[in-house]
Amino acid sequence: MNNITVAWAALPFFLGFAIYLIPKLDRYLALLGTIISFAYALRLFIEESPLTLQFLDNFGVTLMVDRLSAFFILTNALVTAAVILYCWRSDKSAFFYTQAIIVHGSVNAAFACTDFISLYVALEVSGIAAFLLIAYPRSDRSIWVALRYLFVSNTAMLFYLVGAVLVYQANYSFAYDGLRDAPPEALALIFVGLLVKGGVFISGLWLPLTHSESETPVSALLSGVVVKAGVYPLVRCALIVEEVDPIVRIFGVATAFLGVIYAIFENDTKRVLALSTISQLGWILAAPQQGGYYALAHGLAKSALFLTAGNLPSRSLKELQNKPINTPTWVVLVVGSLSISGFPLLTGFGAKALTMKNILPWQVIAMNIAVVGTVIVYAKFIFLPRGEGKKPKPGFWAAIILLIGWLLTANAVYYEAYTVEGIAKAFITLAGGWLLYWLIFRRAAGKLPSFLEEFDHLIGVMSVISVLLFWMAFLCLDI
Amino acid sequence: MKIVAMDVMSTGVIAYYVAVASRNGLFTPIFINAEKRSYADPVPQAVILTAIVIGFSIQALMLVGVMKLARDNPTLESNEIQKNNTP
Repeated sequence: MNNITVAWAALPFFLGFAIYLIPKLDRYLALLGTIISFAYALRLFIEESPLTLQFLDNFGVTLMVDRLSAFFILTNALVTAAVILYCWRSDKSAFFYTQAIIVHGSVNAAFACTDFISLYVALEVSGIAAFLLIAYPRSDRSIWVALRYLFVSNTAMLFYLVGAVLVYQANYSFAYDGLRDAPPEALALIFVGLLVKGGVFISGLWLPLTHSESETPVSALLSGVVVKAGVYPLVRCALIVEEVDPIVRIFGVATAFLGVIYAIFENDTKRVLALSTISQLGWILAAPQQGGYYALAHGLAKSALFLTAGNLPSRSLKELQNKPINTPTWVVLVVGSLSISGFPLLTGFGAKALTMKNILPWQVIAMNIAVVGTVIVYAKFIFLPRGEGKKPKPGFWAAIILLIGWLLTANAVYYEAYTVEGIAKAFITLAGGWLLYWLIFRRAAGKLPSFLEEFDHLIGVMSVISVLLFWMAFLCLDI
Repeated sequence: MKIVAMDVMSTGVIAYYVAVASRNGLFTPIFINAEKRSYADPVPQAVILTAIVIGFSIQALMLVGVMKLARDNPTLESNEIQKNNTP
């Protein structure tokens, strides 16, 4: 198993180079990489105990994989495969597939490692590859968005690096559990890097523009997996070091709220989806033990929704209310929306139920309000008219069948959620949310100011968050 | 300009790593038969080498992007570029 793990971690990078050498085989090789990841994730589910690897001495690379990372790896494999299938018949060059598989590999590495330096390398590689993917159309806007993304993430990673060396100074090791003995400023600096990279809370407000202005498959990939590379280490740290658990939970709740509030007052389909990604990331953080299952449910539904949003006749929700959507496309849109809203029979329901069971008492009220908010956001998509319309691009169906099929299959992981009480609760929430939508929010035309998304503020907010984190860390670690 | 500022930041981080490494001594840790001295810690230095390479490549990549942008709309003011490219 140890050898398989190492081979699996290295394989996507070899495939990436191989694609460049043999451009004819590009999509087949890329798909092969995702299939192997998929098989590996399934293998991990069978494994009883977590697998830990340590190379060199106590300052070497450490890897750890268990069921939590298996969920994340599975999400990664499925979403990347769907994106490759979506692009199968497009005229994308081998360069695109190379970057896609390298993003896949680096995100995989981030899901497996448990020391700060391997994580740094994995995140930087995923950042560079994501930059190249966003800039792929070579238009002015895409280059600007990509530059903004790379600048923000690189600055965040510089903060992170300083934090990492402080951990090393305290422990002579870069492993995650060193966070326990590290000074509070180390925790603050590392977390500010991860929060920015993962698009969490106000430090994550770079995300809406980046995700909504990229091409359809790229937004699906970014929203489905790349941001989770920043969130997973937070979850893992919260599990390894109990003292930081409250910090992660607080950020989870705050993010779930912030994203939902922004998304309710938004009128552009892709921006709504991107903002709801922020809120869903908050859900993953709100209950770190069960974050994996939630990440799977969100990744599948959100990438399906992004792929669908790219095939709608318009991006403005106002216009869409008058333009009918092609019926099959509409069905996909509704299934994805229902899953994130937590409708029974779809994975979103089980994931929501499981998260709700694992949150602490102080979080319950807040998270219930966030559920209703999510339902309101997705009511915008569910109540769009359908009818004759333009047919989606070729390749769309292959990707969607894979994603929706797994949305249905993954239900089996937590079938205990199907109690009368649970189903009743889900329906009451849905009905309440839809009622609120029809009564109030359907006509609400307000738009929240987006000045926080300006470039200078993005960098400024990072410092604010690091000060906030420092005091939180100070209180959590020292009392 | 902002990119150069970012580079200055990363130089600061690198310098900090080197400072951490040399806290216990300045001698290069090479395995020879000499008397015991206070050696520098090699690990942060090895680690920062990776970060230097990554930082450098990102720098190059971003400068290429800026060059392309500046050729199409002849300005380097990031606020102007932002105004032109935000929906």
